[in-house]
Amino acid sequence: MGKKAVRLSAAARREENWGYLMIAPTIIGLIVLNLWPFVQTIYTSFCEHLGFGNYKFIGIGNYVEMFQNPEVWRATWNTILFCILTVPVGLFLSLLVAMMLNAKIKGKGLFRTIFFLPMVCAPAAVTMVWRWIFNSDYGILNQIFGTNINWITDSKFVMIACAIVAIWSNIGYDAVLLLAGLQNISKSYYEAAEIDGTSKVNQFLQITLPMVSPTLFVVMIMRLMSSVKVYDLIYMMVEDTNPALTSVQSLMYLFYRETFVAGSRGSGAAIVVWTVVLIGIITIIQFIGQKKWVNYDV
Amino acid sequence: MKRVTRMLALLLAAVMLLPLAGCGSSDGKTHLTFQIWDVGQRDGMQAMCDAYTANVNPDVVIEVQVTSWSEYWTKLEAAAESNTLPDLFWMHTDQILYYSEFGMLADVTDLFPYAEHYSDISISNAQGSDGRMYGVPKDKDNICLIYNKEMFDAAGVAYPDDTWTWDDLESASQAIYDATGNYGYMAYNDEQLGYHNFVYQNGGCILTEDKTKGGFDLPATREAVKYYVNLQSYDWCPSQAYFAETTPGTAFFSGKGAMFLEGSWNLLAQMTNYPDMVGKWDVAVLPAAPNPVSGDGRATISNGLTYATGAHGKNLELALDVLTYFAGEEAQRIQGESGAAIPAYEGLEETWISAFDKFDYQLDLENAIMSQFDYCVQYVNNSARPKWKSGVVDIMTSIYNGSVDIETGLDNIQNLINTETAKKLADS
Repeated sequence: MGKKAVRLSAAARREENWGYLMIAPTIIGLIVLNLWPFVQTIYTSFCEHLGFGNYKFIGIGNYVEMFQNPEVWRATWNTILFCILTVPVGLFLSLLVAMMLNAKIKGKGLFRTIFFLPMVCAPAAVTMVWRWIFNSDYGILNQIFGTNINWITDSKFVMIACAIVAIWSNIGYDAVLLLAGLQNISKSYYEAAEIDGTSKVNQFLQITLPMVSPTLFVVMIMRLMSSVKVYDLIYMMVEDTNPALTSVQSLMYLFYRETFVAGSRGSGAAIVVWTVVLIGIITIIQFIGQKKWVNYDV
Repeated sequence: MKRVTRMLALLLAAVMLLPLAGCGSSDGKTHLTFQIWDVGQRDGMQAMCDAYTANVNPDVVIEVQVTSWSEYWTKLEAAAESNTLPDLFWMHTDQILYYSEFGMLADVTDLFPYAEHYSDISISNAQGSDGRMYGVPKDKDNICLIYNKEMFDAAGVAYPDDTWTWDDLESASQAIYDATGNYGYMAYNDEQLGYHNFVYQNGGCILTEDKTKGGFDLPATREAVKYYVNLQSYDWCPSQAYFAETTPGTAFFSGKGAMFLEGSWNLLAQMTNYPDMVGKWDVAVLPAAPNPVSGDGRATISNGLTYATGAHGKNLELALDVLTYFAGEEAQRIQGESGAAIPAYEGLEETWISAFDKFDYQLDLENAIMSQFDYCVQYVNNSARPKWKSGVVDIMTSIYNGSVDIETGLDNIQNLINTETAKKLADS
């Protein structure tokens, strides 16, 4: 038995080596472009940037400063709030859209295209259009509702405005992923349910939701991670002389301003590491939570 | 079928290789790159470069490249770090001390007898902390008041002139607001185009003479900033929330407001970009402080850009030769006549005005811009500025949105400038 295993493993090893060779381009790319910069970022977070790539090691100074800075805590809260506002609503709407696109309606292909379109547009262009929609004096939103709300300059509304744009931009993409999940559900479940006289609501709760839950889980993780990293949207919507900036500034926006505007790459790197920790915590919570609601027994 | 595929593949490969052909200088000439951030000045800069090729060195071809201001510095710093700086580029007062301190810029002190043809302000805008010159003076600018004539006529108020003080600014704004419902003077959260001018008019300062401390503890400075911030409490001035969505320039040229402060470098673009507005607006000197703590109440912030090259560029010799040409009268004249900017070269200022001849309406540039050079103040700078600049903007934003009261805010600004400057001085 042992002899046989060794003999087999020689052949297997050759195959294994070929395997490594095949994935080498990707792995090398990952190491050079992702892993090594990640290590460098961690190192940078313990340094002070003197200028033009000259660093001075200062230990945990950046972290001490960071956690004493109310702006960082404010940005952390803003980021979490942004996730709370966008992820549940976004997921709910995406699922709704996916189910509608899965139903038997005319022009399904057209609707799928329309819903997916925001994903194809450049985020910067999308945001510029939304800025005009939200403009308090000339914007269409205030015109329609006859309101006079300063959507992007009032600290009470700016976060909601950003959340609306984020949800709008992502519904299409999430819906397409969920649609794929929905289409994997065998029709026979629904036929059986029909025969048993189960209501549509119960069909959704008992069949659709459990069956689509693995896809939903993946979409949720992706959406949460990208929400924690939100930057371009807020950067385009809110300039640094906007009086409502502190009410919407996310961790990544703060990182950008520290690193590229103020030039302190060390404290910028510390903010990034803090964000990674935050994403880690959220993801762990989700993986523990998934045991309660994600159904893999199909 | 197979042949078609093969031919397609060949074609594709040829297309991929095409850009590489540009890398070798097949024409036997040396190609230099020249990086700038203002698309409005591209043609003027290219004209200068072409004149260099035509009149000085036919073997050198210079290509002007434009990157927007917001990306320019990120890109340039990355290039400096990896020693791939463009052969020639613009340098700004905000950054020249930082770049020169790290030895990124070539010393150009001995290229030209600057003192004979350039003002002290132009020269000091080009100097590093060590007093050597790291840039060739390019242009000079100052800030003027631009006003909508139609709104003044409608309100029956006389146009701004050199007798104006802050009080006239207020009363005219009120009159225009009452008569037309449009905004008067639009005072927004800005330094160079905003409160810095008011501070110096009032006899205050942003940095002390020796640049080692902030001036925000001086009564003159505090009074001026408070006055400026407080302008937004009048009905005739929009709030900062408004400006976050609509810049004063946009409001002005869409006929929503009567006055704002504008830099001389934007005037030509605005004449060109808003042809319908030509003839409906004009420029004037900045209003004076009515009761300055010291001085005569007159001031405007003047800044100037420089041309620079990297200290370790592989075409350093050629680049320095081009810079020598840029410093000379001919290149400065081309720059002025193209309307790109007011030449820093003394005596050539008028060439810039000639660029406005093509318009039906002549702005009062002679009185508004040129006369202001007599009492202009050098743009604020010290070597720690990159460290405190964005912090000061943040504090001003929180003063404007009311999260910090103005007294505390001004104290915080003073502390920030002093701390960062002291730290920088201790390091070097």
